[in-house]
Amino acid sequence: MPLWLGESTNFLETYTTYWIEAGLLEYRQALALQEQLVERRIKGDLKQDIVLALEHPAVFTLGSRGGLESLKIDPALLQKKGIDIVETGRGGVITYHGPGQLILYPIVDLARLGMKVGLFIDRLEELMIRLSRVFGVAPSRDVRNRGVWVGDDKLGSLGIRVRKSVSFHGFALNVSTDLAPFDWIDPCGLTETRMTSLEKVSAKSIEMAPVLQEARSLYGELFGQAMETLSFNSVYAGATEDQ
Amino acid sequence: MKDVSDLILPENLRYTETHEWARKEGDEIVMGLSDYAQDQLGDIVFVELPDVGDSFEGGGEFATVESVKAASEVYLPVDGTITAVNEELEGSPELVNGSPYEEAWVVRFKPANPADFENLMDVSTYRTFCGDQ
Repeated sequence: MPLWLGESTNFLETYTTYWIEAGLLEYRQALALQEQLVERRIKGDLKQDIVLALEHPAVFTLGSRGGLESLKIDPALLQKKGIDIVETGRGGVITYHGPGQLILYPIVDLARLGMKVGLFIDRLEELMIRLSRVFGVAPSRDVRNRGVWVGDDKLGSLGIRVRKSVSFHGFALNVSTDLAPFDWIDPCGLTETRMTSLEKVSAKSIEMAPVLQEARSLYGELFGQAMETLSFNSVYAGATEDQ
Repeated sequence: MKDVSDLILPENLRYTETHEWARKEGDEIVMGLSDYAQDQLGDIVFVELPDVGDSFEGGGEFATVESVKAASEVYLPVDGTITAVNEELEGSPELVNGSPYEEAWVVRFKPANPADFENLMDVSTYRTFCGDQ
């Protein structure tokens, strides 16, 4: 049993959140991992919140309200390109994920955090905004269309699911993402919405490593948590050991 | 979040740890989301309902309510089979916030074991439970 699942550990670390960088992880694999961690968080044998930070290989995902009608390309063509379409339970509709996009999946007990769902969404947007500023981009909010925007272009999207007060899924911020696949959909069901990235707006090359580092410290700041990094392998082994 | 003393919790209802309410009507149970739940979730924009005839275990997810960008699961209080769904919620999901105990009942169902209803929390137990959250 990995250390962080132990019964008697952590009782002095109420405000510690574990930060796990998973690198490039297939969407379906990441979803299965989230489901397992959520179950453990609900049961209480995982006593701390966890943030998974990762990138996905190219994939289209549908939200709880579907979104397949917003796909403007023949699904058979996607299949030929080896791009999966995955149904998920997160809030929202269709979106695209691909390398160069920072994904944060916070697995958080909102009741323990004492945070309403709306405020949690708001804090995730704030994280994307502050993170972007570090890299010279100043996005804004649109209360009617959640996410973060640079002018009329969308820089970051979010969608969560809440199971017995534990939130999972999270946000996707375009750092250096290839934006072409977004043209094959109406992202989030919004027609005429163009996507953008930190690299595109700042006209600079941006590596993922410093973005991850900043995201980790901003998360701690915004949610009042001490961040402790765990290796992906220990968590992955821990989450799958029941299988 | 609402202070526990500000929560509107009708006396004649039973409640679950996942913040649903339940009321006995004949040999059926009507249920919906509690004031705590609707306050926690914020403005509901979408409700996904099950089909009449579907059976679920007590505590099993059977519906989702979506506030903007957040889909939240709703659980059946006890084992049972859905006998009616409130289709009004599909067109007017905001009723969950405005009238959680009246207009925004979610489903009516036939419990597998009618006695299970008695195991649900009464209002004073539930109010204490909300205070501990």
